Amino acid sequence: MREATHRARLPVAVSALTLILLAAPFIGLVMVTHWRDFGFADGDGSAVLVSLLYSLVALILIIALGTPLAWWLARHPMRGKWLIDALLLLALLTPPLALGLLLASMYGPYAPAGSLLERAGLVLTNSVPAFVMAQFYSALPYYVMAARAAFESVPRELEQIALTLGHSPWRSFLHVSLPLARLGLAAAIALAWVRALGEFGAVLIVAYYPQGIPVKLWVNLQNIGLSAVYPLLWVFFLVAMPLPLMLGLAVRRRHLL
Amino acid sequence: MRIDYTLQHPIALHAAFDVEGFTVLLGASGEGKSLLLRAIAGLVPAQGEPFGGLPAQHRAVGYLPQGYALFPHLNAWQNVAFALHGAQRRQQAMQWLERVHMAEWAERYPVTLSGGQQQRVALARAMARRPQLLLLDEPTSALDPVTREDVMAELIAEVHAFGIPALAVSHDPHLAAVADRLVLMHRRSIIQIGTPEAVYTQPVSGAAARLLGYRNVHRGHIDGTASAPRLVWPEGGVSLPIKGQAVVGMQVEWMIDPSAIRVTDIRDASSDAIPATVEVRHVNGRVTQWGMRCGQARLWVAMHGNQPLPETLALHLPPEAIRYWTGA
Repeated sequence: MREATHRARLPVAVSALTLILLAAPFIGLVMVTHWRDFGFADGDGSAVLVSLLYSLVALILIIALGTPLAWWLARHPMRGKWLIDALLLLALLTPPLALGLLLASMYGPYAPAGSLLERAGLVLTNSVPAFVMAQFYSALPYYVMAARAAFESVPRELEQIALTLGHSPWRSFLHVSLPLARLGLAAAIALAWVRALGEFGAVLIVAYYPQGIPVKLWVNLQNIGLSAVYPLLWVFFLVAMPLPLMLGLAVRRRHLL
Repeated sequence: MRIDYTLQHPIALHAAFDVEGFTVLLGASGEGKSLLLRAIAGLVPAQGEPFGGLPAQHRAVGYLPQGYALFPHLNAWQNVAFALHGAQRRQQAMQWLERVHMAEWAERYPVTLSGGQQQRVALARAMARRPQLLLLDEPTSALDPVTREDVMAELIAEVHAFGIPALAVSHDPHLAAVADRLVLMHRRSIIQIGTPEAVYTQPVSGAAARLLGYRNVHRGHIDGTASAPRLVWPEGGVSLPIKGQAVVGMQVEWMIDPSAIRVTDIRDASSDAIPATVEVRHVNGRVTQWGMRCGQARLWVAMHGNQPLPETLALHLPPEAIRYWTGA
């Protein structure tokens, strides 16, 4: 009996330690923030707007383009799929700064795709599209990986049953696959949002302007100092948190299993 | 309804037979029975009639897979309404649930229902699609053994009430026994078709007898002379006199009804009796089945009541009760 309670205590103790480690930097943030002269630097407000608005655009693009790919990867076995897996891993592995450099070398003003697109009126350097593109590239592989796992967890038989009940493959996807994958898809969206919003390296290279929160934090640090970083960081947490938090709660509330 | 289907992939299979009332396709695991159902439902590529070439969503079949595959995110009536359209969906779904006596469970989610209840909801859902043919994959496999017979009786009564042909594939002889029509499949071809009465009385081979759940089906060969043939049973290490016109040297499969075997004391036994020892006793109501070890094999002996067994046993197999099939 005593041994059993002893054994049960160990995971609790380890979990507590892990949580303390996880919380430590934020406890530090509470302590180092100058609460008395809490104020914002010039341009902090527009950085928040830029971050929120364009991350949302990037997220929509990621969902629109990533979901069909994730679905296809989850449902269609084929030869040479490891090549696609390798490509996704490659995108995940690339350090953010290197990703920015690679994007610049492809979509920059003198680069092959960049010069073509520029002639068509789409400038992919220091522009809103460039900002969205950098976020898109850095968050897409995370979304595809997570969404694919979500779709793979849906029993194929249920989708097929929907077909035998007279539903088209599209309606079967809409009414069976999507609702059954919703937990995993919500997690994938939350992950993509967090990745897009927090992206620094790739954005810094291809879109120094417009400035979102991560780049503005760096600019504030360079120009003013730490005192200008903490207030913006607090705002960042405040605006970034609601979407993933609400997604998780909303999906779990409707989770009936 | 005539079924005639040919599959190439993942296994080669051809099956042609009629489905009348509640038809059971009986075969061992791995014969491709489930695959055949999925082919008829349009879920795996195959050629055949009916519904040949149509996509799954345009085939008028009600398909109940093993485990029934109810949608876990929908409750019972929503599962049934999944096959329905229009403003009256809920009302119609409730009517279908009433027909399978599940209306009071309409708001329950599948995980909270028993196997038999899930099966009835799945049946209502399949029927709501207004199929011309019902397909049931191993309908007894997910049922509690205690209530299985009742659940199957209910299912068959409902299928009869709906009045559309149903094809169930199974390896369960209990299900075969309650069918209107029986189709036996062995080594991916159909070996016998008929009513359960006809098929159970005259199985066409040892394989058919095994599928039907008969015990005491063994291999052997014919020895002796044409006028006094004997059956050599290598596993039992004996040879037994048999009746009929057997060709000496022929390989056979043979069978004996457990209730036809007589147990004697080895000291009183004839030279054709088989020495045996008791392995297991299986009490089933008034009949007791004894598993008897004979050489390398086992013979089942059925006895009424609680007759005491002699200490040293021998089994007598009456020649007229031994049935054999050639071409084993």
